[in-house]
Amino acid sequence: MVKLFREMKISSRVSAFWLCLMALFAVVGHWIPLPDPREFDIDASAVGPFSPGHILGTDAGGYDLLSNIVNGARTSLLISIVSVGLGGFIGSVLGILAAYRRGRLDYIINTTFNIMLSIPNLVLGLALVAVLANNADPAIPVNPNRRMFVIIVSLTIVIIPILGRIARGATLTWSNREFVVAARSMGMRDLNIVLRHIVPNVLPAIYAVGFLAVGVVIVAEGALSLLGVGIVDGLSWGAMIARVAGEFEYAPQSMYVPVLVLALTVIACNQIGDFLRGRLDVREGKI
Amino acid sequence: MGFETPRGLLKAVRGVSLDIPAGQSVGIVGESGSGKTVMSRAAMGLLSGSNLRRSGQVVFDGKELTAMSPREVRDQFGTGMAMIFQDPMTALNPVRRIGSQLAEGPRIRLGMDKKAALKRSAELLSLVRIPDPEAMLRKFPYQLSGGMRQRVMIAIAISCNPELLFADEPTTALDVTVQAQILQLLSELRRDLKMSMVLVTHDLGVVANHTDFVAVMYAGEIVEQAPTAELFANMKMPYTKALLDSIPNIEMKSGARLKVIEGRLPNPVDRPKGCGFVTRCSYAQQKCHDEHPPLVDAGSGHLYRCWYPLGHTIARKP
Repeated sequence: MVKLFREMKISSRVSAFWLCLMALFAVVGHWIPLPDPREFDIDASAVGPFSPGHILGTDAGGYDLLSNIVNGARTSLLISIVSVGLGGFIGSVLGILAAYRRGRLDYIINTTFNIMLSIPNLVLGLALVAVLANNADPAIPVNPNRRMFVIIVSLTIVIIPILGRIARGATLTWSNREFVVAARSMGMRDLNIVLRHIVPNVLPAIYAVGFLAVGVVIVAEGALSLLGVGIVDGLSWGAMIARVAGEFEYAPQSMYVPVLVLALTVIACNQIGDFLRGRLDVREGKI
Repeated sequence: MGFETPRGLLKAVRGVSLDIPAGQSVGIVGESGSGKTVMSRAAMGLLSGSNLRRSGQVVFDGKELTAMSPREVRDQFGTGMAMIFQDPMTALNPVRRIGSQLAEGPRIRLGMDKKAALKRSAELLSLVRIPDPEAMLRKFPYQLSGGMRQRVMIAIAISCNPELLFADEPTTALDVTVQAQILQLLSELRRDLKMSMVLVTHDLGVVANHTDFVAVMYAGEIVEQAPTAELFANMKMPYTKALLDSIPNIEMKSGARLKVIEGRLPNPVDRPKGCGFVTRCSYAQQKCHDEHPPLVDAGSGHLYRCWYPLGHTIARKP
């Protein structure tokens, strides 16, 4: 880890530092002594950054922005990491299986991936959330936990073909290598060959593209919130942006702050993903 | 053994029947494309793909492999038969340490625990004369030279005590100075571990020193087979002679041209009806063009496939 950090250029180091900071917020954010993100300060509504008691200012409702960022990191990062992790795992399993088995199974899986990839990420996510997260009676509000669960599931489904395709491509190149034939000539079972010989070679590609995918998902979560189907009432960066969308003229900082944080996080993810891609020499970089 | 191709069925190997006696070393010689590798891989059941067409049988240790289920065949690999590959640069997994790759066979096939398997791996490495085996276990393939890697490949192949070892051009990718060492090592290991070995090569010189029996392949067929000493003493097939003549000789004048076999292998999809070697053979007669020669038994295990073998007394047209 330390060795990896030494190899980084300054841009990657800053990115790594930023991501660590966000991760720290996500884990211990609620212990940091800040105003309660759900309590509004009646005396300080729409104050600018560097106001006393509100380092990043407040929005029109008097909610502390820094506190919302710190506490919202948990939801935003949880959603992106869980959905990329889960989607990456399922996608890799399917992709490796397809490429290793070939034949009809490969045809089915690959065609499904291509169909899913042909639908824009956001449209697919939006459709899935809209279908899965709504009650039959619109008067009954949707349970926030269920909504969160649905968003994670939807984004996972969005991620599966992205990483699955990478896993499939990498497996295709590795599974015809001589060391795989050599392992077969030693009487290894297919499961052992895949776990011991294919997976270690495919993983670097998955890591690298996975980081890029985290950026995509953070944006997708924000966009879903803005469109009114995300975490609308909870604490998340997307929810912040959605909530303050109408207050831009008289409390611009309430828009700048979450958007800037979100953008920096996405840039940092891309930077680290790119660094890993270069370092691990992965050629399939497009997402 | 054939492959379906867009231009028709490519019969890569046909009409081959070869017996590998226990404890003996059999050489398979032939030029590039003569079917050596396809034959040895077919015997190991390593060929696959939807365009594969196969017939015939492989019998190992009294068991017919071609009639067994894939699972049963797999259980023969490693412990029954193992293979050394042509190119040690690609036959090792680049992202795993030597130790874990080497211990894999003993752990999975022989059911050893991790510690015993690593101990066994170190023993194997010293068996293939790698100095400081303990340190080698922790290295990655890229840290090793070609010769070292080929030694590791040999160690992997013998890790489960196979009875039969296929060596598919084990020295082709190596430096000439290392070739002799590796072949010497293989011969000694074969003797000490009482294995049978199939040595696939294109070098008749290698065969002369390291095998008991030789089969010469040409265009997917065995064209001559004999005990090694008999073959070199009493060559019948013009192709074998031509192969031998094409090896550079130290007594050749400097600047002298190397002898080559002119022409190319016949098209494997559409073979001529006569002898496959006819267009390149300096002794070819009309009969060679018209009729495919059968395998003729010359006694003492010497078989050849030629209408007018060397030493034949019938007058030849020049």
